[in-house]
Amino acid sequence: GKLLVIPIDGSHWLSMLGVIQQLQQKGHEVVVIAPEASIHIKEGSFYTMRKYPVPFQNENVTAAFVELGRSVFDQDPFLLRVVKTYNKVKRDSSMLLSGCSHLLHNAEFMASLEQSHFDALLTDPFLPCGSIVAQYLSLPAVYFLNALPCSLDLEATQCPAPLSYVPKSLSSNTDRMNFLQRVKNMIIALTENFLCRVVYSPYGSLATEILQKEVTVKDLLSPASIWLMRNDFVKDYPRPIMPNMVFIGGINCLQKKALSQEFEAYVNASGEHGIVVFSLGSMVSEIPEKKAMEIAEALGRIPQTVLWRYTGTRPSNLAKNTILVKWLPQNDLLGHPKARAFITHSGSHGIYEGICNGVPMVMMPLFGDQMDNAKRMETRGAGVTLNVLEMTADDLENALKTVINNKSYKENIMRLSSLHKDRPIEPLDLAVFWVEYVMRHKGAPHLRPAAHDLTWYQYHSLDVIGFLLAIVLTVVFIVYKSCAYGCRKCFGGKGRVKKSHKSKTH
Amino acid sequence: DKLLVVPQDGSHWLSMKEIVEHLSERGHDIVVLVPEVNLLLGESKYYRRKSFPVPYNLEELRTRYRSFGNNHFAASSPLMAPLREYRNNMIVIDMCFFSCQSLLKDSATLSFLRENQFDALFTDPAMPCGVILAEYLKLPSIYLFRGFPCSLEHIGQSPSPVSYVPRFYTKFSDHMTFPQRLANFIANILENYLYHCLYSKYEILASDLLKRDVSLPALHQNSLWLLRYDFVFEYPRPVMPNMIFIGGTNCKKKGNLSQEFEAYVNASGEHGIVVFSLGSMVSEIPEKKAMEIAEALGRIPQTLLWRYTGTRPSNLAKNTILVKWLPQNDLLGHPKARAFITHSGSHGIYEGICNGVPMVMMPLFGDQMDNAKRMETRGAGVTLNVLEMTADDLENALKTVINNKSYKENIMRLSSLHKDRPIEPLDLAVFWVEYVMRHKGAPHLRPAAHDLTWYQYHSLDVIGFLLAIVLTVVFIVYKSCAYGCRKCFGGKGRVKKSHKSKTH
Repeated sequence: GKLLVIPIDGSHWLSMLGVIQQLQQKGHEVVVIAPEASIHIKEGSFYTMRKYPVPFQNENVTAAFVELGRSVFDQDPFLLRVVKTYNKVKRDSSMLLSGCSHLLHNAEFMASLEQSHFDALLTDPFLPCGSIVAQYLSLPAVYFLNALPCSLDLEATQCPAPLSYVPKSLSSNTDRMNFLQRVKNMIIALTENFLCRVVYSPYGSLATEILQKEVTVKDLLSPASIWLMRNDFVKDYPRPIMPNMVFIGGINCLQKKALSQEFEAYVNASGEHGIVVFSLGSMVSEIPEKKAMEIAEALGRIPQTVLWRYTGTRPSNLAKNTILVKWLPQNDLLGHPKARAFITHSGSHGIYEGICNGVPMVMMPLFGDQMDNAKRMETRGAGVTLNVLEMTADDLENALKTVINNKSYKENIMRLSSLHKDRPIEPLDLAVFWVEYVMRHKGAPHLRPAAHDLTWYQYHSLDVIGFLLAIVLTVVFIVYKSCAYGCRKCFGGKGRVKKSHKSKTH
Repeated sequence: DKLLVVPQDGSHWLSMKEIVEHLSERGHDIVVLVPEVNLLLGESKYYRRKSFPVPYNLEELRTRYRSFGNNHFAASSPLMAPLREYRNNMIVIDMCFFSCQSLLKDSATLSFLRENQFDALFTDPAMPCGVILAEYLKLPSIYLFRGFPCSLEHIGQSPSPVSYVPRFYTKFSDHMTFPQRLANFIANILENYLYHCLYSKYEILASDLLKRDVSLPALHQNSLWLLRYDFVFEYPRPVMPNMIFIGGTNCKKKGNLSQEFEAYVNASGEHGIVVFSLGSMVSEIPEKKAMEIAEALGRIPQTLLWRYTGTRPSNLAKNTILVKWLPQNDLLGHPKARAFITHSGSHGIYEGICNGVPMVMMPLFGDQMDNAKRMETRGAGVTLNVLEMTADDLENALKTVINNKSYKENIMRLSSLHKDRPIEPLDLAVFWVEYVMRHKGAPHLRPAAHDLTWYQYHSLDVIGFLLAIVLTVVFIVYKSCAYGCRKCFGGKGRVKKSHKSKTH
């Protein structure tokens, strides 16, 4: 079959690659479309790349990423941080929106897509540009995602999520909340929609213009046939799910290669103490000097060899046991029996690689879902979370020594690892199966809940409750009135007489 | 590993048996706990049986099942139907309770179970004896269930909006009109009542045994649920991560037909065959009804294979062959199968879907009405009311599903969706039973909802708290405004007022 892929630049794209490769090997023709200005999305041997012009350059995208990585180290007061983040999100999302708008208004490009007669569309709905294309071309869509901000994924799948035990993202709550945490959860739920409107509602207007019918963001997202969610309940808390959600967490963990000579040598030289793998992900290229020196100092105090993926300036106090590299084969290193700990920004990819390979973690969450990821691993006793802004060299040293020397961390992560890896089918195969399924059957309409066809008050049965209440009240009213009437008939004369009598005595 | 199986006698056992046999082939040591008097829980090379005494004999058991089966043909007014259905079900359900009661009071059996160190317990929670035993023996458990009665699998677990999740016995689809939603809302309340009627005595039994207060939903949540669901057949709805969907396990294996049946099928010619079975519960049909059915069957050109153990109707036509038993799945899997007359039990429905044979459905009791409704709304079959139908109705229904191509097309579409799955349901079932044995349960799939009270679950305390804050703020703002206003304009206002009143 023919598959159209509309990815999103950044780390999201990397986990999608495995699926695309597998699909191509199974004989499908895959076409990937992306803006001309893309950083991670490049030509590949197993798909056809088609780029469309956008009104921004590669440098703009790089700058946005770099700034995102840098901004997390800014020591600003809370409110200023919120305002800065808000402005940055607004700026970046309007850039990406303009890219989407250029694609949709590119009549020639869109016509050529239409003529290609694809069977299905695979997209990351983090930005719903692919969703608009799917509706424009009337293609069944498969979504590939971690989670959407502001519970848009829950809304679009009509998946109930009781606020009492399903923690909101960015709340740092667990699934066991005390009263105040549940209040916080509720307040986030009441306000999150408002925050998300900045990013998402422009897509609604854009879609309304392109599709020539009134659509909301929810209308854009909800027709998806299958939601491939990069979650696993070893990491995430159990909650209600819908039949068209397929869980493929850990999809990026499988592919393991032998270490290159360079890294093999590092690992072998580490001796009995083994190695610590340290990476803050592809977004962070530089750390403020003071912070970097603090980190370097802490790393120097442990006996393990530390492999640190860092592209910034070399801290002057770097100890002998710390090796700076521009890039490291993270999953392969974590899979080595000598890996003792993993210092990570707790992005979902890293977390799953840590779980998969059973390496306890020291987590320095930076932004987005990373705080929540760290919280989840911490409550499961598989890692220690540090606040990257506030931590001292001592904190980092202690955290590392704890996860390495306190056996419970290793035991917990190994238990999670064995649960995670014990599955009837590999997540990659599962993802490939469902993409093919949608291509074969032109969607999966039998998995679409009827809830989509109800208004909100019907969904919550408010009309039914109101109707029943009206009946009950009417009956009560009638019964009361007839009783009152009956009473008056029977005892009325007497009563009235008495009353009038009484009033007369006054 | 050692697995304790606490089955449910009757047709429920058939799908469990298949999984148990598969597990046994994979080298697990299996003990099946059976009441010493039972129908289908026979000896097998796949497992050892441990029997326990029950306070009834085989005669009574058979009588109860027979009257249960036959009662479905007794006429009754529509108003009395639910009550009759309930009483009729209780004929069998009461017996299950007696059996459970006697098991949980039998110290010899209990100590045998305690001494055998089992790794897990596999049970059917419809009658929760195994559920209670798992708690008593502190064993991780796996349930096999179809979803009847009372939406047992969802109570206290998955949210089930009454607006689009039809309740049992309502025969509604997932798209309901306002009056239907109203009825569904009320059915939901009644379902809670039914749950209480069916299970509160088990809770008392369990509380006695475990020496503490026991609520069944709390026990359910610790388990992994193998549900015989497939969303080709069920309506999509919220579910939970501890639910594994294995609908269609009993469809897979296709044996060769025996010589006898092969001969019947081959002799049917171009018209092919129709398979007719009302399941193992119905042994006899009232004579008048049986003759009506026989007449209708005689009017179609297909060869009829009718599984029937009652007296042979005198007007049976030549094309109809009565058999005591038939290889239902294998016959349906034959390319010459044209239609399937079924009581629409879930096993039969899945076999019909799997083999792509359009159905004429005569639901009798329990979930069968709802099953029939589902297939009907999907255009894969026609439903008949077995009490009211005439020979003409049956004839027309058969001719419709056989000659109207849309029925065949719809069932083939369902069949292709149903069979297109990443892993066979039987393998999936076996995997998860072994998973629970390996990991001593699956606590990471247990939602935190169970540690909340009902008002916490619905956030009523939080809503109340926030409302109180908002109201307090509004009240304070109002009062201070009022006070401020009075300070600023107050004098004037009051003067005016008092002035006014004085002028009166």
